[in-house]
Amino acid sequence: MVASAICGRGMRRIMARPTLIMPVLLMPLIFVLSFTGAFGSLTRVEGYGTDNVFNWMAVYAAMQGAVFAGVGGASTTAEDIENGFFDRLLLTPGSRVPILVGTMAYSALRSTIPTTGVLLVSALGGLGLPGGLLALVTVYVATAGMAAAFCLLGLAVVYRFRTMRSMILIQVCGFSLMFLSTGQVPIHFMNGWLHTVARVNPVTNVLRFARQGFLGDLTWSMTWPGLVALGAMVAVAGVLAVHQLRRLAA
Amino acid sequence: MTCLPTQPAAASRGPKSESTTVNAGAATGLRLAGVQTLALTRRSVVSEWRQLGNVIPGIVFPLLLAAVYTHQFTRVILLPGFPVVDSFLDFVLPASLVQSVSFGATEAGTELARDIENGFFDRLRASPCMRLPLLLGRLGGAVVVATAKGVLIIAIFLLFGTKIAGGLAAAVVLVAAAVLLVIAIGGLGQVLAILTGSQEAVNATFPLVFTSIFMSSAFFPTNLMSGWFREVAEANPVTWIIDPVRRLILEGWSWSDVGQALAVPLVISVVTVAMAVIALNRKLSSS
Repeated sequence: MVASAICGRGMRRIMARPTLIMPVLLMPLIFVLSFTGAFGSLTRVEGYGTDNVFNWMAVYAAMQGAVFAGVGGASTTAEDIENGFFDRLLLTPGSRVPILVGTMAYSALRSTIPTTGVLLVSALGGLGLPGGLLALVTVYVATAGMAAAFCLLGLAVVYRFRTMRSMILIQVCGFSLMFLSTGQVPIHFMNGWLHTVARVNPVTNVLRFARQGFLGDLTWSMTWPGLVALGAMVAVAGVLAVHQLRRLAA
Repeated sequence: MTCLPTQPAAASRGPKSESTTVNAGAATGLRLAGVQTLALTRRSVVSEWRQLGNVIPGIVFPLLLAAVYTHQFTRVILLPGFPVVDSFLDFVLPASLVQSVSFGATEAGTELARDIENGFFDRLRASPCMRLPLLLGRLGGAVVVATAKGVLIIAIFLLFGTKIAGGLAAAVVLVAAAVLLVIAIGGLGQVLAILTGSQEAVNATFPLVFTSIFMSSAFFPTNLMSGWFREVAEANPVTWIIDPVRRLILEGWSWSDVGQALAVPLVISVVTVAMAVIALNRKLSSS
């Protein structure tokens, strides 16, 4: 009940102030256009995996958008803390966890906006769906999961530092994790330390899971590592966020 | 608290002929503007120094991007049409530098907007401070920070094996072009700051700067792009700056490249700073 009210409040806020959607939507669209435009020649390199660069980059841009959506969700809490509304929430009786779950649900829901935008723009660029409609389902699951994980991570930081400025830490963390993955090229294109880092980066598995339907058929061997990585990221970030929330409320 | 010199030294001297007095007055005015600009530049640099946390992402992020691209584009540099390079690191140096300085480029506008928001700008206006130093002081701070960033980025690239074919002189041109670009972007930020008086509005220009770097030859040569994106990239002034600078790094010294690398950002700087001066004059005369 509390969780759905907080989630609904966030969505109503977006409806009331459409300008809030712009940064969430605009940056992923810029990414998809920039990456496909600048790096279109990558498909000419043997072993890239697709001859249409949109099939590779669309998922990456959508995931970037999901990270923004997650951080944006946590930012609303930062704003609530700064303007005193969060203190009033803490005064209400009952468990604090629904406050956190509601914000996470709002972020996951909010991530559908950039994902849909990126997919529509990519469709204009010739995005193919060899994996069928299930390919779309995997992208939405992956982006919602990423938004939830980064929202929880953002909340852990916000509950700790209680300022909007602290969100920059999560932005940098999100950007770095995305860049240190197979976002732009397959893993066998990488060498040295980057190859090692990308291999252990959980985002690589999430990208494999979300991208498989755009490169070919969906397989279980590509699916389960992505789901495990998403689950682990949400679980770890969730534990951190709950710990910091209890500390804040104490 | 910044203490600005305001008393023209010539005014206190004895009587002179009219033309000598006019020349001396102009020279004194110029000297005074210079001293005031330096004082405000110092204030701006001190402010940046106290908020190093804001400067660091502008250094770390471009370096991270360069490191990642170097390790993931090893096969890409073998594509037909790609400039001959030993490593992608050589290719990406100008992009990293431009990206790094761009991170703080809007700061001149943001800081001016903050001064307007918190009332400090009104106190400066009430003081006998000349108008131009109000703008140049903030730009001066951005220039100092950009120069430091430029030297640091080039030093780190050299440490990781980048070779600059044009030598030290080309490195100086690279930093100078980046600094001029900062003045151009900073000038634009100041126009917005004066017109809106809002930090948020100035910050909104950052995605524009970010996009204009990605939609240029910064990270990939335009001859390997296609369609509308290639046309946009070729028409993008960032490409006109990066391409000649890159040739200085990869191919060696060329006066025509030096001219292009410096003239393009210089012209844009003159335009944006002139716009800022006009906006300031209009604001002051209307209030």
